[in-house]
Amino acid sequence: MVARSHAGLRAVPLRGDFHVVIGPHARRRRIAHWVLLAITGCVLFLLLVLSRIALDRHAFVMEDLEGAISTEEARYWDLRMEVAELRDPARIARMARSLGMVYPDDVRVVSVPGLGSSGFGIEERWAGLKLLLSAQP
Amino acid sequence: MYEQPRRGLETRLVAVGILLVVAWGAVGYRLTIVQGAQAEEFADRGRSQWLSSQTLAADRGTIFDADGRELAVTVDAVTVVANPTEMPDRGEVAWRIAPLVGRDPGELYEAFQGDTHFVYVARQIDEAIAEPIRQANLPGIHFLVEPKRVYPLGSLAAHVVGFVQTDENRGLEGIELQYDEALAGTPGELLVERDPNGRVIPLGSYDVVPAEPGSDLVLTIVSEIQYEAEQALADAMERTGAVAGSVLVVDVETGEILAMVNAPGFDPNDRATLVGDALRNRAVTDVFEPGSTQKIVTIAAAIDSGSVTAATSFDIPERIERHDTTFEDSIDMLGPHTVTEIVTNSSNLGTILIGERIGATTLHRYLDAFGAGRATGVDYPGEPSGLLRPPEEWCATTCLAGTSIGYRVSVTPLQMAMVYAAIANGGVWVQPHLVREVIDGDGASRPTVPAERRVVSSETAHILLAMLEAVVDRGTGTLAAVPGHRVGGKTGTTERYDFELQRYSDTDVVASFIGVAPIDNPRVVIAVVLDSPTNYASGGKGAAPVFSRVALATLNQLGVPPNAP
Repeated sequence: MVARSHAGLRAVPLRGDFHVVIGPHARRRRIAHWVLLAITGCVLFLLLVLSRIALDRHAFVMEDLEGAISTEEARYWDLRMEVAELRDPARIARMARSLGMVYPDDVRVVSVPGLGSSGFGIEERWAGLKLLLSAQP
Repeated sequence: MYEQPRRGLETRLVAVGILLVVAWGAVGYRLTIVQGAQAEEFADRGRSQWLSSQTLAADRGTIFDADGRELAVTVDAVTVVANPTEMPDRGEVAWRIAPLVGRDPGELYEAFQGDTHFVYVARQIDEAIAEPIRQANLPGIHFLVEPKRVYPLGSLAAHVVGFVQTDENRGLEGIELQYDEALAGTPGELLVERDPNGRVIPLGSYDVVPAEPGSDLVLTIVSEIQYEAEQALADAMERTGAVAGSVLVVDVETGEILAMVNAPGFDPNDRATLVGDALRNRAVTDVFEPGSTQKIVTIAAAIDSGSVTAATSFDIPERIERHDTTFEDSIDMLGPHTVTEIVTNSSNLGTILIGERIGATTLHRYLDAFGAGRATGVDYPGEPSGLLRPPEEWCATTCLAGTSIGYRVSVTPLQMAMVYAAIANGGVWVQPHLVREVIDGDGASRPTVPAERRVVSSETAHILLAMLEAVVDRGTGTLAAVPGHRVGGKTGTTERYDFELQRYSDTDVVASFIGVAPIDNPRVVIAVVLDSPTNYASGGKGAAPVFSRVALATLNQLGVPPNAP
C-alpha cells in the first residue's frame, strides 16, 4: 500500500470555473457560413422572381401570338369562302353568258377524215382544219 | 386510512385513460377512413370545388366536291347575348339594338323581362353585322363566338350535302347526317383552377385534352355537272309543268354519283326554305313504278337466260287480255316484230309475250339481281328498298304481264339508274356512292370501296346497249339524241298511282328517261324522272330532252370527244 501525501492532491475545480475559449478565427468561420447561406438564399430568391417575370412575359407574348393566329385563321377561312364563291358554277355561268360564251342553238359537228392519225399529209389536213375553224362565227 | 383515496385516484386515472384511448382510437379510425378508404372520394370533392371543366368544341369537318371545292364549311360567327339584369333601362336597350339585329323591339323588350341573366339577341351573325352593335356599347350586351355551318355554293347539291342543327352543329339531313360522327370529331376538355368567384387562378392547375377535329369528306359530286343538271331540270319543270323531278348522273364503272338533283329544292343557308317537300331527296327516297324503263330488265332476262335473241320474232296481237285487264300498245305494233323492234318502240304487248315466255321465276330472279326490292346501299340516309314481291305471291292472272312492263314493282330513281349502269358496265352492277374518300384529322385518307356483282353476261349487255341506241336513233327516244355523240336509252311513261283514290290516275303520269352515254364506250348513265307533267307528258317528250342537255354537258366536262359518225 502506497501512502499518498495530501500535498499531491489538488482541489477539484468547481463546475463554474470551466469555460471554453473560442478564438477570433473560429468565430468568423461560423458567421461566414450563415452569411453565405443568406446571400445564397437572396440570390436564389431573386433568380426565382426573375424567372417568374420571364415566364409571365413569355405568357403574354404567347397570348398575343395565339390571338394573331386566331385572327389569321379567321382570315384564312374568309378567303377560302371567297374562293369557293368565286368558283361557284352559277357565278361562272352568269359571267360566261354575259360574255356570250354559250352553246349555239344549232350544234354542227365537223368531221375531219383522218384526224388524229399520223402519216403523210397530216400538216395539210391540220392547215385545212384551222382554216375551217377560223371561219366559224 | 390512505388506501381509499389512492384507489379512487387510480380508478379515475384508469377511466380517463380509457376515455383517451377510446377518443384517440376514434380519431385514428376516422383518420384511417379519411386518408385511406375514402381518400379518393374526398380528393375528388375538393377537386370539383376548385377545378373547372370546360368542353372544347371540335372543328367540324369540311365537305368538298370532287374537285376540292368547298360545299360545307364551319366558320366562327358572332352571337349577341344580353344580361338584362345589367341594363339600367331595358326598354332603351331593346329599342336601340332591335334595328341593328333585325328584330321587333317589343319582342326583345318582352324577352328582357324577368330575372333571367341570359337572352339570345342574335345568333351566328357575321362580324360586319356585329360591328355596329359593338360600337353602340350598350349595357348588358355581350358577344360570344360560335361555330356556324356555311354552304358557300348555296342550293347547289343541297339535297346531297344536307344541313345541320343550329345549336350543336349536328347533322340533320343528307351527308351531314349520314357521316355526322366522322364530321363531328371528338370534343376536348380544359381543366383550370378557379376561385370561389369563378375567376381563373393564374398559374394554377391547368390541363388540356385537345379536341380531335372532324374528318373531311370528298364527295363524288362534280359541281359543273350538278349545276348544269339543276338548270336543265328547272327548265324542264317550267316547260312541262311537273310538280317534282329528279336527275341522276352516275359513273358506270365506279358507281360514283356525279350529280344528284331534285326539284323543288332549298338553300341550306336559309332556314326559311327548310320546309316540307323541298327537303325530300326524291332520287333516293321516293319510289315509283318504273313502267317502260324496266322493260329492259325483262329483255335482259330473256336474252341472258337464252330464251330469246335480239332477232327473235314475236307475232304481236292487237291487244292482250288477262283476267279483267286489257293491255294495248300506244302505237300500232300488230304483226311480227323482233325483240329489238319491241324495245325500240317500247311495245307493251311484245314485252308481255317475252315475259310470259321466261316465266315469273326467271323474271323475278333477274329483277332481284338488278336490285329491285333491295336498297342499293348508297351512303345516304333514308333509302328504301322498294317493293318486289316473291314470285309465289304473284297472282296467276295479271301479275306476270304487269310486272313484265314495269308495274307491280316499286323502285327509286337511283335503283333504276343502277340497272342501266350495270348494263353499261358490261353486266356488272356497282354499288353507288356519294363519298369518294374520308380524310381524317391527321390527313389519313380512307377511300370508298364499292361492292360489285355480275348481273348479266357481257355479251347480253352488249346486245342491250345496241337496242338502247336504236331507241334513240329511231324509236321513242329520238329527242334524247346528243349532237356529235352516240347515246342510247329507254323512255318510260307510267300512270301515277293515286293512294287516296286507290287506283291509277287517268291524268297524272311519271315521265322518265334513262340513258347511257356514250353508247359504244359507256361512261355515264343519266336518269331523268318528272312527276306529273302537264305538258309534254311522256318520257320521250318531257324527260328525253333533259337527258340530251345533261349528257352533252357531262361529256364535255369529262372531256369525252364526239364519236358520232
